[in-house]
Amino acid sequence: MPQRGMQTAPDQKKPLAQLSQDQREFLDRALRVNQAGELAATLIYTAQTPPLLQSHPNLRSLMKHMYDQEAGHFATFNKLLAKHRVRPTAMYPVWKAAASILGWSTGVMGREASMACTEAVETEIGNHYNGQVRELFRWMQEIKSRGEEVDPELEELINTLKRIRDEELEHLDHAVENDAKQAQPYAPLTNVIRYGCRGAIWISERV
Amino acid sequence: MRHVPTHGFSMRALTEGAKESGYLEVSVQLLPRGVFDLINYHLVTQRLALKDRVQFPKDSKLGAGEKVRTLTLERLRANQDIIHQWQGALGQMSLLGNIPASLKELHILSDEIWYLSGDTSVDTSWYTKRASLAALYASSELFMTADASKDFAATAEFVDRRLEDFQKVGKTVGGLGQFVGFWAGNTIHLARSWGMRV
Repeated sequence: MPQRGMQTAPDQKKPLAQLSQDQREFLDRALRVNQAGELAATLIYTAQTPPLLQSHPNLRSLMKHMYDQEAGHFATFNKLLAKHRVRPTAMYPVWKAAASILGWSTGVMGREASMACTEAVETEIGNHYNGQVRELFRWMQEIKSRGEEVDPELEELINTLKRIRDEELEHLDHAVENDAKQAQPYAPLTNVIRYGCRGAIWISERV
Repeated sequence: MRHVPTHGFSMRALTEGAKESGYLEVSVQLLPRGVFDLINYHLVTQRLALKDRVQFPKDSKLGAGEKVRTLTLERLRANQDIIHQWQGALGQMSLLGNIPASLKELHILSDEIWYLSGDTSVDTSWYTKRASLAALYASSELFMTADASKDFAATAEFVDRRLEDFQKVGKTVGGLGQFVGFWAGNTIHLARSWGMRV
């Protein structure tokens, strides 16, 4: 857990804000879930790409671009978890298997299904990150209203999460542009995936 | 703690210590878990002292395994003043009410040693590494309580043998994983080369 002590920033009069135990636990859970999410995202793209490119080789550069961004997010969260000594989720091998199966089966189902899968996952993830950014932003407001200095690490985290959220929403837009909405059992497919994501997020926060 | 070598981890040590610090004997009633609090104090202070006792230079060429070995041995050595009383302490720690706290301390110690040895893995191996080190440390500590060799050389050898065992197990499991993964990948690639849409 990050040890944030009460210190006076060198040339300023305001004391550095210390996070409460609840806030630390929130960050602990948030980082754990985010890492699990990015692990799943990279595996979904890895599994989707080969069957998808067999029928639609023109999607190669798009898939590579999305994969590279997810891999970058994954690396970011891995570093954060190691730095702040956060426990990774115990469901790691389960999510690995589940994400690979999801990616492979939507890849085999075709372009529209793959894009619908991406659309569903990114919608949930976008909401999820947005919620975290809102919560951290609220903390920042509270700290400022108490007249304390915001820890630069906290600000950096908020900016990182905002950037990642924006990139995920960009993937959502790409998916919709590529006819995600034309996927054939559209409602069942997206609902199953969205509820699956919510369940996975809930479990990873706790286990 | 000064009284522990003579009186063991007992109420006697606590009351002697209280008297010496100028407190009334009855003030030891303030400690909710009695003797276990004394044991816990020793465990926590020695764990926190680890990072001060062992400092690896920044450009150290030691592998993670080496660092883990050094840290574990150093933590074991921290017990040497009270090792003759430690069997009693282990007995206390295994009382039903104390087990959760003892296990938690063991886990935190294992996490601390891995962290200090520079481990940054955050996948499933996070769990396996800490579990195996906890088992290793617990068995080595028990061994040390009966070790009469000079400078606890026998304990050091015990630790080395256990570390070797864990490496062997790790290699076997890793090898098995690679084997299965290779054949799974092979099957899929073969199917694709036959034109199957897999």
